[in-house]
Amino acid sequence: METETTPAQADVSELDLVRRCQAGQTDAFDQLVTRYRTRVFAMIYNMVHNEQDAWDLAQESFVKAWKSIGRFKGKSSFYTWIYRIVMNVTIDWLRKRQIKAGGAEFDDAIQLKEIDPASKTVPKADPLPHQRMEQKEVRDRIDHAISQLSPEHRAVILMKEIEEMQYHEIAETLGCSIGTVMSRLFYARKKLQNSLRDVYENV
Amino acid sequence: MKTFEEKWTAWLDEKLSDKELAEFEASLPDLAAAQAEKRGARKLGAFLKEQLGAQILGNEEFFNHQIHERIARDKEDRHRSRSIRWTIPRLVWAGATALALFLVTTVVLMTQHQPGEQSEYLTQILNSRVDPAANPNATIYIFESKNDNKVTVLWTEGLQSLPADYAAK
Repeated sequence: METETTPAQADVSELDLVRRCQAGQTDAFDQLVTRYRTRVFAMIYNMVHNEQDAWDLAQESFVKAWKSIGRFKGKSSFYTWIYRIVMNVTIDWLRKRQIKAGGAEFDDAIQLKEIDPASKTVPKADPLPHQRMEQKEVRDRIDHAISQLSPEHRAVILMKEIEEMQYHEIAETLGCSIGTVMSRLFYARKKLQNSLRDVYENV
Repeated sequence: MKTFEEKWTAWLDEKLSDKELAEFEASLPDLAAAQAEKRGARKLGAFLKEQLGAQILGNEEFFNHQIHERIARDKEDRHRSRSIRWTIPRLVWAGATALALFLVTTVVLMTQHQPGEQSEYLTQILNSRVDPAANPNATIYIFESKNDNKVTVLWTEGLQSLPADYAAK
């Protein structure tokens, strides 16, 4: 996985930085933040679709990471560990917002009814746009489609397709089984294929 | 035993072994449609990666700076709460010590306290009273006047004699 590092930073091992953080050195934590801030922000942004919320949640995630860095044992990579924090913070936030909004934003039960697991590939009947969509329009379509997924399904599809994480890494990050990850991935893909087929087939 | 969803996902991501692949593809009712579905899913993955993978974080240095500030604030808060945690037991101990000192002082003062000296005259009267041989019917009352609290009345009965230096004081 790529990280945001300069050549000088790359020389310092991640574990060494973590050890220094555990000794209370904030400058070491600053380096870790610099390495992962863009990816963490992008991941959260793709989950919540709002720059300010993504900024705040990324901040909260890093501060939480700092507070609990003493408990990091190095059994997994720091990246997986911090992603777990990021996902907990973001999914909690989405769940709370869902409760405030009356719980209507996403509903997995409805999704399952809508999806035929063995459905054939049939282009949507919706008319295609006459010209290529503007970038913003495409982005809006993607954001809308993703916003229809539950937080857990969003997390799985984004970690798999954008971060290119392995099943076991996703499972570790979300604290669930590999089977659950694969199952969520199946439904998330189906749902997005149904929602975005006309876009990705034509852009 | 893997579910259909798990097998489908593994098939799509090409994570099945040769044996599993053969078994799974043989179980599909329409392999051609499934293959098309697979191509669509892969296209979707590439499309998402292309569209969502380039999110830029603005004000990167400010982002770090803000985290630093929050960490510093958190450290201060923790230090303050630790100070409070130390102050409360201290207050309890100080209170308990003050109370103990007060009790000890009170006990010491009370044990050292002696009642005011009794007048010689009263002593003589009481001695007369307590000698049944000399004054078998003696009765002595001492009370304060109800009308005037400043006057103490000494009422004697049955005394055979009064002390020689009797005087109204």
